[in-house]
Amino acid sequence: MANVTFPFPFPDHLITLMPEMIVAIMAMFLLLFDVFVAKGSKTTAYLAIATTVAAGVATWSLQGPDPLVAFYGFFVFDSFAVFSKFLIYVATALGMILSLEYMKNEKHIGEYYVLMLFAMLGMMLMVSSNNFVTMYLGLELMALCVYVLVAYQREVLRANEAALKYFILGALSSGMLLYGITFLYGVTGSFDFAVMGEKLAHAEGDATAAVMLGMVFLIAGLGFKVSMAPFHMWTPDAYEGAPTPVTAFMSVAPKVAGFVIFMRIVADLLPALQHEYQSILIGVAVLTIAVGNLAAIAQRNIKRMLAYSTVGHVGFIMMGLIAGSPAGFSGILVYLSIYLVMTMGVFAVIILMRREGIQGELLDDFAGLSKVRPGYALAMGLFMFSMAGIPFLGGFWAKYVVFMAAVEAGHLYLVLYALLFSAVGAFYYLRVVKYIYFDEERVAFNFIESRPMQATVFVTAVTIVFLGLFPDALFELCRQALVGLV
Amino acid sequence: MQETALTLSTTELLAIPALPLIGAMIAGLFGWAMKERMAHSITSGFVILSALLSIHVFTQVLAGASFHGNLWTWMIAGDFVVPVGLLIDRLTTIMMVTVTVVSACVHIYTIGYMHGDPGYPRFFAYISAFTFSMLVLVMGNNFFTLFFGWEAVGLFSYLLIGFWFKRESANYAAMKAFIVNRVGDFGFAVGILAIWYYYGSVEYKTVFAMTPDFVAQNVTLGFMGWEVAAITFICLALFVGAMGKSGQVPLHVWLPDSMEGPTPISALIHAATMVTAGVFMVARLSPMFEFSETALVVVTLVGAITAWMCATIGLVQNDIKRVIAYSTCSQLGYMFVGLGVSAYSASIFHLMTHAYFKALLFLAAGSVIHAVMAEQDIRKMGQLRKYMPVTYITMLLAALALAGVPPFAGFFSKDLIIEATMAREFTEYGWVGSFATFAVLTGVFMTAFYTFRMFFLTFHNSDRVDPHAKGHLHESPKVITIPLMILAVGAVGSGIWGVTVLDIANPEVLNGYFGDAIFVMDAHNPLMVMAADGGVHGALGMILHAPFTLPFWLALGGIGLAYFMYFKQTTMPAKIAAASGPIYTFLLNKWYWDELYEKIFIRPARSLGTFLWQRGDLGIIDKGAIHKGIIDNIVAGAARMRAMQTGFVYHYAFAMVSGVFVLLTYLLLKA
Repeated sequence: MANVTFPFPFPDHLITLMPEMIVAIMAMFLLLFDVFVAKGSKTTAYLAIATTVAAGVATWSLQGPDPLVAFYGFFVFDSFAVFSKFLIYVATALGMILSLEYMKNEKHIGEYYVLMLFAMLGMMLMVSSNNFVTMYLGLELMALCVYVLVAYQREVLRANEAALKYFILGALSSGMLLYGITFLYGVTGSFDFAVMGEKLAHAEGDATAAVMLGMVFLIAGLGFKVSMAPFHMWTPDAYEGAPTPVTAFMSVAPKVAGFVIFMRIVADLLPALQHEYQSILIGVAVLTIAVGNLAAIAQRNIKRMLAYSTVGHVGFIMMGLIAGSPAGFSGILVYLSIYLVMTMGVFAVIILMRREGIQGELLDDFAGLSKVRPGYALAMGLFMFSMAGIPFLGGFWAKYVVFMAAVEAGHLYLVLYALLFSAVGAFYYLRVVKYIYFDEERVAFNFIESRPMQATVFVTAVTIVFLGLFPDALFELCRQALVGLV
Repeated sequence: MQETALTLSTTELLAIPALPLIGAMIAGLFGWAMKERMAHSITSGFVILSALLSIHVFTQVLAGASFHGNLWTWMIAGDFVVPVGLLIDRLTTIMMVTVTVVSACVHIYTIGYMHGDPGYPRFFAYISAFTFSMLVLVMGNNFFTLFFGWEAVGLFSYLLIGFWFKRESANYAAMKAFIVNRVGDFGFAVGILAIWYYYGSVEYKTVFAMTPDFVAQNVTLGFMGWEVAAITFICLALFVGAMGKSGQVPLHVWLPDSMEGPTPISALIHAATMVTAGVFMVARLSPMFEFSETALVVVTLVGAITAWMCATIGLVQNDIKRVIAYSTCSQLGYMFVGLGVSAYSASIFHLMTHAYFKALLFLAAGSVIHAVMAEQDIRKMGQLRKYMPVTYITMLLAALALAGVPPFAGFFSKDLIIEATMAREFTEYGWVGSFATFAVLTGVFMTAFYTFRMFFLTFHNSDRVDPHAKGHLHESPKVITIPLMILAVGAVGSGIWGVTVLDIANPEVLNGYFGDAIFVMDAHNPLMVMAADGGVHGALGMILHAPFTLPFWLALGGIGLAYFMYFKQTTMPAKIAAASGPIYTFLLNKWYWDELYEKIFIRPARSLGTFLWQRGDLGIIDKGAIHKGIIDNIVAGAARMRAMQTGFVYHYAFAMVSGVFVLLTYLLLKA
């Protein structure tokens, strides 16, 4: 091959970005392609799903024992990034599958899938970044796409309100994030996590105050993305207002990307400040767990309830961050993987229940489901039990690994606190089961018939049971993914 | 046992318990979709096949084959390994044949008896699953498979007693059986745990091999202030389990009540198989019981008391099934006396013969009950022989076998136990031996009397059948009478067969047929003592010798008295009842055991339960401190959280900013 002299040598560097390039090119291609397909055609959607698969194949073929680096260290491709990318692909693909029927009557539906692909691209950049420049680039790409996705149903007032709130607060959080990064850059003179971490270890005098300032703003900015309290308040409004497939997508994929960045920062940037960031995170976790689990009890709308449930889960996932150990980090990956499966399954059932004209997302709407559709009822029951952490379903192991890691790291009281609140949380999960199995049908059901979505419900339900019975393989996979990070 | 070229096929051995299990699963899971014919064909077919395989294995073992080995591992916890394995020897095979043959007869009988019942496939699923459990119990090679089978038969017994779950009395009886058995099973579990604690193994062969050394070490343990030899403790704890399962005083109270279940299960579970599990267990563990004279004395004493007491109760009962049920308790008492005096082989022999004739008695009684429209009171029967000749003849044969009249089956086995009891002398507690001798001898008289009292009142005497049931009187269909005839062959012939073919009673071969499946110390072996006294050889010898022994005349006396009272002087029973007032009432009320338990256990337990429910559950949790303290606060917290979510974006932003502010202040103040 000819020796092409770009600013960077080709193709060694760019080959590392093959998955990202596939997604970017396909997204732009689909934008054009969509103009030529008939309204109501699902071709664009299937091509978008195929793109995630292609990205997956590319990622799979690239991965090797050693981490790859591109753009002079601005882009890393290690086993950690690979694992989280796969979670993101799965979340995006499932989000698209859930959209197939739900969004089919929207105008300009091609743009919808393109936005999802760009959001995915942003997240792929995020998880592959080991410096603030790439990270922020990815983060904003993702955030801008998700804002639009929330507001996709333009005629729905609730969606517009939700998107606007989300956008304003998102802008505020981006401001905080950048403000924090500025302080840290000021002290260290670098954007690279590892280099900055090295420098921060030696910060003294006035610099300490600047470091604290930077760290708090950084945690606040990132905490917003993963819905940590008190930066979570956009979550229920946005979840409720967004089209349900978007809710499913945004309750999983950005959380994965956000926690991956959190882990990279904790592992590379902040090891010298372990004591400080731990005390902040403990306080935030205590609040997050309480807010998530308590507020969910008071909800009548299942999407709002699941939004608070997400906040609760985020609180539990933070146990792994607080532990800060390899066990804690692999626990986070385990939790995210299982959380992904449960959440997608739950939303698939909710979407299948959408009736013509009505949203079909109040808790009351589930009354008597078991008599009409025992299969959906069983799946929903499994997901709820799993989310509540009942053994032996996947959700039990998710909690188990992060709690054990926190106990081993010496945070026994925090874990006891979390356990008490997961008992409180069991109430609102099991209440759904009560509606499904013990109440009488109130409004006639009218289901969407969609093979791909029914398959999604089936596969996720089976996976949750399977992971509950044989979790070892997933544990091992998550341990492997962390080689090189901690 | 000598090395032998004959080997048993593992597949065949596994098929014996597996077939009933498969049948049970098919009938249990898919019974709702089946016709009656399908459900009973599958289960009965598999059990009959299992019985044929058992007989085949029996003949192979008789020719010298045996099997011992672990097949797979059930669980591992640290160094605690529980294997699943089989021990097939002569003791096992005789049980296997008894269980499967009686079970097969009961399966066939049930086809006729339960016809049209809404729970028809369920019933077959249960009895097949029961057969599986019982086979696991007898075929296992360690204490855990024994325990598994032990609990599983208890479960199916519970389910079958309460089979007609819409009847309150059936539910009550089922619970009673289950709870009383819990007491026994607790002892049993303690025994097994003690074995694990002292021996570090749960396999029979390992434990048996270690026992002589273990006894020689004189290990003792303190138990409620007594210093007890560990071996005695283990044996007694296990025996408590046997008392529960086999209906021995004071845990016998559930067995008569279990008659609430359909009659086929009374025959299968509460006469022929499950209740004999305790007898089998003690015989299987003879290498342990032999080392504890105290345990043997207790076994003898409990057996003797039960044999005698239940016989006295049987004298006055009026429910046809209860008479037979008390007879079962009493006969199990005989078996335990036999075990206690180290005549294990005689006890197992009696177990086998009893299984046939007692199952026959129950099934015949079921046939009678079927004919008289579910009437069970023998005072409302009479003269039935005219209507149901097959039932009449077969029941007569069974009654003769139970009474111990030669040459019927019960004669041989019971006679062996009685002779062994007379021959055995305990070094300490000699009075127990004397009492046991007294109990088994008077028991013979009473057994003969109550059996024929029931028989005469049912089939002879005056016709007292309810006019409404009269038109319905008829002989039962073939599907019911054929099992009766099959079992009648066993009731007549199994005694002679055991003595001649199996050579069970031969004192010159130690343990006779059982070989090393049963261990008896020479000093204890009553058969050896009997041999020294010039024992009697062979079936014919025993029959010819019978007129010179006391039990023979006691049995005839009992039958004669019954004949006299219920044929000749039919006014006499009422006069005797009136004359013996309190004693009669005492016996009629079954020695007041139920009332005693009601006072000392049931009422205190109920009031404790009521207290915990009213004061604890309702008072503290539902309405009291827990509700006010926790639940109300959580609900209030949820409402407050919800109120904070105002929907105004500036509130949200304010929350974020103040969050940052609080965290910063905290960090900077701390630094």
